[in-house]
Amino acid sequence: MLSKSLATVNPCSMCMPMGSVLVFRGIENCMTLFHGSQGCSTYMRLYLAHHFREPVDIASSALSEKGAVYGGAANLKQGLRNVIKGYSPKAIGIATTCLAETIGDDVPQIVREFQAEEPLAKDVTFISVSTPSYAASHEVGYRVALKSLVQTLAKRSDGKANGRINILVGSIVSPADVRYLKRLLDDWGMGYVLLPDISETFDAPLTEDLPRIPLGGTPLDDIRDCANSKATVTIGGLVQEPGAGDFLKKEFEIPHTPLPLPIGLEFCDRLVGCLEELTGEAMPECYERERGRLLDTMVDAHKIVADARTAVFGDTEMVLGLTRLMTELGMRPQIIATGAINPCFAEAATQLAPGSRIMTGADYSEIAQEVSTREIELMVGPFTGRQTAKKEKVPLQRVGLPSHDRFGASHQLLLGYEGTMHLVDCLANALIESKESGSA
Amino acid sequence: MIVKIFEGREGHIQQKGDECLPLSCSNDSLAGAVSQRACVYSGARVVLNPITDALHLVHGPIGCAAYTWDIRGAASSGPDLYRNSFSTDMLELDVVFGGEKKLALALRELAERFHPPAIFVYSTCIVGIIGDDLGTVCKKASEELGIPVLPVKSEGFRGNKNEGYKAACNALFELIGTRDYTPASRYSINLLGEYNVAGDVWSVKPFFEEMGIEVVATLTGDARVAEIQRAHTARLNLVQCSGSMTYLAKKLEEKYGIPYRRISFFGLQDMSSALRTAAEFFDSQELKEKAEEIILRETARVIPQIERHRARISGKKAAIYMGGAAKAVSLVRAFQELGMDVVIIGTQTGDRDDYEKIAYIVKDGTVIIDDANPLELKELLIKQGADLLVAGVKERFLAYKLGIAFCDFNHDRTTSFEGFAGMVNFAREVDITINSPVWQLPVKRQSPIGSRSDLAVCAGVENVIQEPCHS
Repeated sequence: MLSKSLATVNPCSMCMPMGSVLVFRGIENCMTLFHGSQGCSTYMRLYLAHHFREPVDIASSALSEKGAVYGGAANLKQGLRNVIKGYSPKAIGIATTCLAETIGDDVPQIVREFQAEEPLAKDVTFISVSTPSYAASHEVGYRVALKSLVQTLAKRSDGKANGRINILVGSIVSPADVRYLKRLLDDWGMGYVLLPDISETFDAPLTEDLPRIPLGGTPLDDIRDCANSKATVTIGGLVQEPGAGDFLKKEFEIPHTPLPLPIGLEFCDRLVGCLEELTGEAMPECYERERGRLLDTMVDAHKIVADARTAVFGDTEMVLGLTRLMTELGMRPQIIATGAINPCFAEAATQLAPGSRIMTGADYSEIAQEVSTREIELMVGPFTGRQTAKKEKVPLQRVGLPSHDRFGASHQLLLGYEGTMHLVDCLANALIESKESGSA
Repeated sequence: MIVKIFEGREGHIQQKGDECLPLSCSNDSLAGAVSQRACVYSGARVVLNPITDALHLVHGPIGCAAYTWDIRGAASSGPDLYRNSFSTDMLELDVVFGGEKKLALALRELAERFHPPAIFVYSTCIVGIIGDDLGTVCKKASEELGIPVLPVKSEGFRGNKNEGYKAACNALFELIGTRDYTPASRYSINLLGEYNVAGDVWSVKPFFEEMGIEVVATLTGDARVAEIQRAHTARLNLVQCSGSMTYLAKKLEEKYGIPYRRISFFGLQDMSSALRTAAEFFDSQELKEKAEEIILRETARVIPQIERHRARISGKKAAIYMGGAAKAVSLVRAFQELGMDVVIIGTQTGDRDDYEKIAYIVKDGTVIIDDANPLELKELLIKQGADLLVAGVKERFLAYKLGIAFCDFNHDRTTSFEGFAGMVNFAREVDITINSPVWQLPVKRQSPIGSRSDLAVCAGVENVIQEPCHS
C-alpha cells in the first residue's frame, strides 16, 4: 500500500463555506453572503444549482486586491447593504472564506459597526460564521453554521417553556428527507422545531411568481424559541464534535440526544424510540406498517444482496447509516471511506463493520486503490465516485451530495423506514443489473 | 432606465436607442449584487483545463480544486489526465508556515505517479496572501523533473476572469516554442480560443484539413502538450474566443511574427467566413475554390434540416447572457439566421470594444447589460418578453422558474454547436425547448369546486386556466 499521498487526487470532500449555505438556506427569508472573492460564491452557486436544479443566489463581498491589502470591511458593508436592498431578507448568514480569514477581518465587529451605521440593518438578523476553507471540510462548515445559528438566536424567556422538541438536522440530507421527517413529526402530533429546513427552499414548486428568496425554511422566531424547548435531538450527530445541541444543553440545560441518521432498521428504531420516550406517545400506527414493509423488503432482498462486497464513501453520517443497513442485510462493506478527517468516524465504522478497510481524509485515488484490490461489487456514494467506478468497472449507486449527472437529488429519500425501503430496492436492483450486464 | 435594483449599476445597463453613452464595464463586481462572474483562477482554469495530457495542480485549499473538477465539457480524443482533480489541499499549518515545501513534494510525487509531459500549477487566493513563491518552486521542479512546470498566477481576488485568461495565456506562451517542428503543409494554422466543448472541434477541423490546411495546434480543445509546444511554427492564428485568447495571439505575433484573424465557428455565416478567412490569408486560388465548394456542399446539406426548426422558432424572442463577448456576438448572427429577435444581450467580461460592436449589430430596443445578476436578469426577461434564454447552468433554473425556455451555451453543454452540423443541433435545441408542451401545462390547476380561497370568497368556479408565464 502506498503511504498517504501529499497531493489530493480527486477529492471526496468540499470546503467549509459550502456547508454553511446548506444551513442558511434552511432559514426562512435568509440570504447567504460569502466574505471573500467573487469566485467562491459563483462556484458554489454553480455546484449547488447542478445538484438541486434550482436557482441558487449567494452574494459575495467581492473582495479585490485593494480589499485584500487594506481589509474587507468596506466591501462587506456594501455587500450587506446591497443584499438588504435587493432581497429584503429577514436574516443574512455571513460565512468567511480563506481569503477573509487570512487577511484577518473581524466579521462580527464589522457587522456590529454596520448595524450601528446603517438604518436598513435594523430589522435584519445577522448570523456570522467562521469557515476558512483550509480548516476543515464542508461537513464541519455545516455544523459550525448550525451551531452559530443557534448561538446567535436562541434566547431563554423565563416561564415560557414551550414543551417542544428541537429536531436538529445535524448533517446534510435532501429536501425529500426533511419533508419525510416533518411528515412523521406532524403525523405524530408533537410540537417541534426542526432546523435547518431545506424541504421547500432547495426544492421549490413551480408557481406563478418567483420570489427573490425561495419560500419556506425554519422561521427565525422558532429558532429563537429553541432555548425554551424541553429536549433536543440531533439527527445525524453520531460522530460529530459538540455542536448546536451541545450548546443548547450547556447554555439552557436542555437534554440532548445525538442520534445517527435514520438509515437502516436499527437506526430508524433508535430515532423512533427516542421520540416515544420524549413525548410519551407511541409512533402512529401507519409508520408501524411502514416499518413492517421495510422489514418485508429486506427479507425479500436478502439473497440477492447477500455477501455483496461494497465500498461506501461520502459524508460521515450518511456513510455510517448506509453501512449499518448493509450489515443488517448481510452485505459485506469492505471499504468505508470519508473525505473528512474525523477520528470518531473510524471508531464507529469499526464497530459497525469489523474487519473492513476504514479510511478518513480519503481521496478517490486512495479509494480506487482499495476498490481494485478488494473485489468490490458495488460502490455507494456521491457521483464524484463515477470515474473510479468506471475505471474499476464497478456499478455506482449514487447517494447524497453532490449528484450532478443524474436527476432526482432533491427527491432522493434515504431516511426513515420509507427511505431505507427505497434504498434496499436500489441496492438490490443495482446488483441485479450489474449481474445481467456482466459489467462487474 | 429599464431596471433599477442596485445603486452603482446604472451605467451597466442600456437599451439601444435610448442613450449613446458608452456602457460601463471592465470593473470589479458590485459587492452584494450576486454577480454571475467567477474569479481569476476560474478564468485560468477554463482556458488551460482542456489540455488533455497535462497535469493541472491547484495550489490551495481543497474547494478550488473540488468545484472545478471535470467541470468543463471539453472532450478528448485520447488522454484523460485532465479529467482528474489535483490539489495540494492546503491546511491550516500550510497557511501558517507556507505551502512551498508541500508544493515541491507534491510536484515530485505527482510527476512520478502520472508521468505528465507538463504540469500547470495554479495559485489561488490564499497563495497570494501568504506569498508562496510559485515561480521559484516551479522552476526548481522543472529542472529536477525534466518537464515544463508552469506557474499560473491566478490568485482569485486579483481581478476578474479576464485576468485569469491572461495568466493562462502567459503560461501557454512560455510553453510555445519549446519544440521544433516543420508543418507538412505550406498552409498551416492554429485554432485559438477553441475548447472542444461537446467535441466542437471535430466538426470544424476536418474542413480545414480538406482544404489542405494543417492545424498545428488547437488552444486548447483536445490539445496535447507537444502540439502546443510547436504552435509557433504555424503561419496563421485563427482566434475564436477573443476575450480569452487575443492577448496570446498578440504576443505570438510580436515574438514569432504570426498574424491573427478573429473568426467564429458558430452559425453558418460565421463558419463559412472562417474558412474563407483562412483561404484569403494564404491567397491561394485553390484554397478559395475548395472553401467555396465545402461551404456550398455543407450548407446545402444542413439547410433543409435547419429550415424545419426555423419554421417553428422564427419570430421568437431570445435573451443572451454569456461569459465572453465573442460568443454573444456570434449568437446574434445565428439568431438572425434562425429568424429570431434578440431582446437582451449581456456578458460577464466584455470590454468597451465588445459592447460597441454589440450595440452596432443589435436592433433598437435591445437591452445590453454588463456583469448582470439574477435580480436584473429576472426583471429584464419578464419586461422584454423573452421566450428563450441562452446562458449557463446558473441561469438555467432562473429561466425555467420563470417559464422561459433555455439553451445551455456554456462549458457543460453536451451537444456540439459548432460547424455546419452544429447549427442543426443548435436549431433543434432551441426548437425543442421553446416548443415543449411543458410550457402549456397549467401552472394553476382548474378545480371543479374552485380553489380554497375562491370558496371562501364566492361559491362560483372562476375561469382559472393560466396562460404559460412567458406569454
